[in-house]
Amino acid sequence: MTIPTFIFKNALRNQRRALLSVSSVAASLFLLVTLQVALRELTLPVESSGAELRICARNKVSLTNPLPARQRPIIEKIPGVEGVSPFTWFGGQYQNEGGMTFAQFAMDPKETRRVFTDIKLDEAALAEFVSQKNAAIIGKVSADKYKFKPGDRFKLDSTVYPGSLDFIVAGIFSGTADDRMMFFHQDYLDESIGTPGYVGMWWLKVKSAADMAPVIQAINAAFQNTSAEVRAESERNFQLGFISMLGNIKALIASISTVVVFTLVLVTASTMSMAVRERFRELAILKALGFRRRELFAFILAESFGLAAAGACLGIGAAYILYTYGNISKMTAGIFVSFEVTPRIMGLAALVAALLGIISAVAPSVSVARMSVVNGLKTLD
Amino acid sequence: MAEPIVQIRELSKIYAQGEIQVIALDRISLDIAAGEFLALMGPSGSGKSTLLHIIAGVDRPTSGECRVQGLNVTRLNESALADWRNHNVGFIFQTFNLIPVLTAAENVELPLLLTRLGRAQRRRQVATALELVGLADRAKHLPRQLSGGQEQRVAIARALVTDPALIVADEPTGNLDAQSAHEVLGVLQSLRQDAGKTIILVTHDPKAAAFGTRQIHLEKGELLP
Repeated sequence: MTIPTFIFKNALRNQRRALLSVSSVAASLFLLVTLQVALRELTLPVESSGAELRICARNKVSLTNPLPARQRPIIEKIPGVEGVSPFTWFGGQYQNEGGMTFAQFAMDPKETRRVFTDIKLDEAALAEFVSQKNAAIIGKVSADKYKFKPGDRFKLDSTVYPGSLDFIVAGIFSGTADDRMMFFHQDYLDESIGTPGYVGMWWLKVKSAADMAPVIQAINAAFQNTSAEVRAESERNFQLGFISMLGNIKALIASISTVVVFTLVLVTASTMSMAVRERFRELAILKALGFRRRELFAFILAESFGLAAAGACLGIGAAYILYTYGNISKMTAGIFVSFEVTPRIMGLAALVAALLGIISAVAPSVSVARMSVVNGLKTLD
Repeated sequence: MAEPIVQIRELSKIYAQGEIQVIALDRISLDIAAGEFLALMGPSGSGKSTLLHIIAGVDRPTSGECRVQGLNVTRLNESALADWRNHNVGFIFQTFNLIPVLTAAENVELPLLLTRLGRAQRRRQVATALELVGLADRAKHLPRQLSGGQEQRVAIARALVTDPALIVADEPTGNLDAQSAHEVLGVLQSLRQDAGKTIILVTHDPKAAAFGTRQIHLEKGELLP
């Protein structure tokens, strides 16, 4: 027999309790990892290639207020602007789905290569998209989800505009930060709703990073004191603005995570205290046989740490496998496209488990250290 | 009398319970010779277990000194005392106190985990100790698979596996039937006779005390003449 064998046998002495303890640690750490990944996904600004040169211009009053289409030539003339496209939220529902299915935006297909440079779409599909007014291109995630293929026809009922629109799939794209989106012709939307002249936003691309600040300034200045003042900002700032609206969710997730960790500490500390309390006499015997305080502390710490580590391996491992190899889009009904369990999050969860093992061992170790052999024997004899 | 292995001088132990002081041992002086089988008798509360605990280094006196093999154990710090116990004292308790998840051999091996002995050497010593108590064939049995008498013999094997000079036994037959008690006392007696161990036995039972080479009586913390 070795000391690790002795510790292992002691830890598994009450197998049901050990199993329940490991399971509670595993479940809590799984939840912690899930919450942290969700928090990261919600607060991580979209970083797509080309985003660093893209500007979003919206109505200064509100994102929901439209902008007049006549602003476009003015923006196009600003030095440093490479391409401009409308970007209008359609809010369509596919078939009879209750909630939002996937985001659809009306834009200018001719500007695809200039403004939306991260879209990966073959030239034939792009040509098809540009040439046909009711054509649409759909991100791969949504296409896979709804089994769309080029040539398919479908209808979307708008929750923003009256009526519905029929579309034909021109191509399936990928490469964007969110491959759930769908793009179609702004002209088609204008014609169909019968009130042309307005767009949701302007998305534009500048020629170089040096053009960002002057172009933003020029756009804001160009429409100052007009009926539709514009607020232009970099795509990154625009995304961060969205994230700031999630402030309460962020606080909520952080507080749930704290409660999870705190509860976990209480559960594990209680389990370890019970386990040690049951063996008080045995620990007194070990002391009588010559085991010192530090050795007994090491036994308790190793047992506590072992339980926490086993729970951590299970919980973190399960989260990693599920979110790495599972279809997260399907699991979350399309709410999350990616759900990356980063090394940092795994490290955080492992650190929590390690601290848990240490903290849980402290109280029982102190009582064992204080216990005299004579009292230890008397207590449970 | 042979050279004393234990020398106790003016040993007192007073327990303070609030404002009340209970004198467990009152200026005891006693010599125990090497190779002696001393039966320590007395009624409950007479202080015999307290005296045994002080000799074995698991309790400390209020005053006086206790030398074992010339070393004043009352002056050792906690860590040194633990180390000293491991090498010099073998414990046998009334309730056996074996670890239930360990086999008989593993229970016997426990004190050896603190030594620098290799695994093979530990195994040899465990086998020898179990053979001495007649339980070589029960090495892989768990305590719950043994009878009370066998459990106590495993405890005796654990007490002697480190080859201590002193074996202390606190009512080792208290939980055993007459036959098992006789067997256990016989093992202790042969340890003295064949291995030259010094044994201190605390007991109420005159029949058990009769196995000793000397009997002393304690009452109200004092040695009776």
